[in-house]
Amino acid sequence: MLDPRTKLLLSIYYAVLIIASGHFSWLAVEWGLLVLFVVIIEEGNAYLRWLRMLLPMALFFGAVMWWSVGGGAAAAASIKLLALTSAFFAFFITTAPEDLGNSLVKIGIPYAVAFVMSTALQFIPVISRKAKNVLDAQRARGIPLEPGWSSLRHYPAFLGPLLIQAFRLAEELAEAMEARGFGRPHRTFLKDYKLQPMDWLAMGGGLLILITCLFLQRW
Amino acid sequence: MTSPFIITDKLQYAYPKSKDHPALKHIDLEIKSDEYLLMCGASGSGKSTLCRTFNGLIPHFYEGDFRGLVLVAGESTIEQSVAELSVKVGMVFQNAEAQLFNRTVELELAFGLESLGLPSENIKKRIAETAEMMGIEDLLPRNPHELSTGEQQLVSIVAVLAINPQIVILDEPYSNLDHVNVRRVRAALNMIHMQRKGVVVCEHRLPLTVSEAQRMVALQEGRIVLNGSPGEVLLRDVEEFGLESPLSARIGRQLELPNLPLDVRTLKKDTPSVVYPTEFKPDLFQPVSTDLPPVLEVENVALALGDTAILHEISFTLRQGECLAVVGANGAGKTTLLKHLNGLIRPSRGKVRVMGLDISSSKVSDLARYVGVAFQNPDNQFFKLTVWDEISVGPKVLGRYDESWLQELVTLFGLRHLLNRSPYRLSGGEKKRVAFAAALACRPKILALDEPTAGQDLNFRRSLGEVFAHLREVGQAIFVVTHDLAFAEQYAHRWLLMSKGQIIAEGQPWQVMANQNAMRQANLEPTDAFLIYSGIPERDGVLKSITDCQ
Repeated sequence: MLDPRTKLLLSIYYAVLIIASGHFSWLAVEWGLLVLFVVIIEEGNAYLRWLRMLLPMALFFGAVMWWSVGGGAAAAASIKLLALTSAFFAFFITTAPEDLGNSLVKIGIPYAVAFVMSTALQFIPVISRKAKNVLDAQRARGIPLEPGWSSLRHYPAFLGPLLIQAFRLAEELAEAMEARGFGRPHRTFLKDYKLQPMDWLAMGGGLLILITCLFLQRW
Repeated sequence: MTSPFIITDKLQYAYPKSKDHPALKHIDLEIKSDEYLLMCGASGSGKSTLCRTFNGLIPHFYEGDFRGLVLVAGESTIEQSVAELSVKVGMVFQNAEAQLFNRTVELELAFGLESLGLPSENIKKRIAETAEMMGIEDLLPRNPHELSTGEQQLVSIVAVLAINPQIVILDEPYSNLDHVNVRRVRAALNMIHMQRKGVVVCEHRLPLTVSEAQRMVALQEGRIVLNGSPGEVLLRDVEEFGLESPLSARIGRQLELPNLPLDVRTLKKDTPSVVYPTEFKPDLFQPVSTDLPPVLEVENVALALGDTAILHEISFTLRQGECLAVVGANGAGKTTLLKHLNGLIRPSRGKVRVMGLDISSSKVSDLARYVGVAFQNPDNQFFKLTVWDEISVGPKVLGRYDESWLQELVTLFGLRHLLNRSPYRLSGGEKKRVAFAAALACRPKILALDEPTAGQDLNFRRSLGEVFAHLREVGQAIFVVTHDLAFAEQYAHRWLLMSKGQIIAEGQPWQVMANQNAMRQANLEPTDAFLIYSGIPERDGVLKSITDCQ
């Protein structure tokens, strides 16, 4: 398995390639390869769910482009957007956030930054559960926070408790982290992040392919 | 004899916003490195504050006025950072949600070890050892936020234990746990103690801890008021300190037994053929008359999410002036059922009728005039600047503002002196009272409370009991969801016993508890009062299972 840093670099190569590609057929192939990759690693279902979320945005973007620059360019731009975001989807689905963060610590990123990156993701479900609880509690005592415009003026009743609890959660988290030694220097990691020959090969090979493709396109 | 590991010397501390009212006053205390200590006291007595001085969170993390000295392993906490102290004194906090911040349980256990800078090999070894010792190997790959409440509490403990501190401090570890999970955590703490480590448990419910604690220290208004072995300390009345002795100890004291029994099993063993004094026997309610009009009818309610059945065919009736308690273990579906009463959750099948009206097409916020709900965490609803605004906001929105009724509620819940305070600055018990008053503010026919006593002390429970009594007299129907059986036994007319989304027994509290199969299926244990006074012979080791962990 490749090191998270290698995977990040490869994703960046791929993104550069997608951005540099202008022709529809190139973009289609680049996106097709990504889809193939996602299917091979058996994340097809997750990809479909994610695509369903993204598709309206891509279509809207495409429609705006169509209206301003015409059909061909619009199709290329839409597919470019899809391919570009898919490249990062492929990266994040194969890389645990703490692996990315911790491996970056090895190349000089402060641990605190890496920690915030991976922990923030952990708390998304916690906060959304809290949001649900706040909505339930307020509606249960008569504050109409049902979806719709009419509830807009009652939004303080939703945001107030949620924000205060989010701040409190952050404070409690800070306390708990500190009590388990967060501030100690010379932190190590459960996993060792060392670049193997395989990683160097992938990084070098990837760069070579990128340059070749860019060259072929320009030609 | 081991020497003291933590020593406090004339310790005094005041939070920055209340400099004139120190939270701790002149605390002189010694804790040995292998001692099992119970730190008790009513809410606000200073237990949690004192614990935070042991691992340096006070004064390093909290500002304020810190005087005197805390020595840990012979060195002042002022000289050591919290991170340095973490290898000596481990601390498990009350809120599991905030202290579990990793993607898997394995990473959670690794966190402290990574802080120590151990090589990866050693980290792996320590995780494996600790997980095995505490029996949570199967949880290692799981996401902590997807675990049950009890499992989360265990993981929080094990994550601290992995660092291998000499003393582990736990801030109210039992406040959200049902009996089975309490038993698991107690067993875990006994195991830790057997490894010759110190255990300090902050808890105000004595029955959960006195039988294993070697010493108990009680705080009141920031001072140490009791200090000694539970067997000695409980020879006197501790109610004035906001504490409730285990029932067996109170009976033992009355019978003047030479050794104070701290749990029911010991009491029964020591006094095989004694008639126990009846003054401690709770007054149980007679069921309400079936002539009273029903205010709530739940008919064959079932809920399924996808293919998973959450609730199965639930039917019951709640009558005017009746207090109905839904009891069951964590995760039995009690709160889910409660959310059906006002449409927060709509059933897949079946009907809910409030005052004879089918609620399936009513908006939740409109139903607040019929069903007042207070959930477990009052912080979910506070957004006004004063307590008075907080209570009156619901009725104002619904156009049911009635000043005299609100004044009545203010008196009933003892909120008069708090009306101009910010709800966020209140104590836990005060917040709960505000939330209950807010739930009743629209004069609903049904008051529904979710775990009203969780984490609350004796005084709170007593005054809530008095409120219940008053409400019953005026015909208020109360629906309460709880795993606090001692409270439900005293204040409910009738119980519904829930397990895995089903009602498996119902009736008067003692009828339900007498159904041993149902109780076992629901993972609940009868109350001490029931075991002592019901006259139902000990069978199938009901008592034994309670004391297994000791």
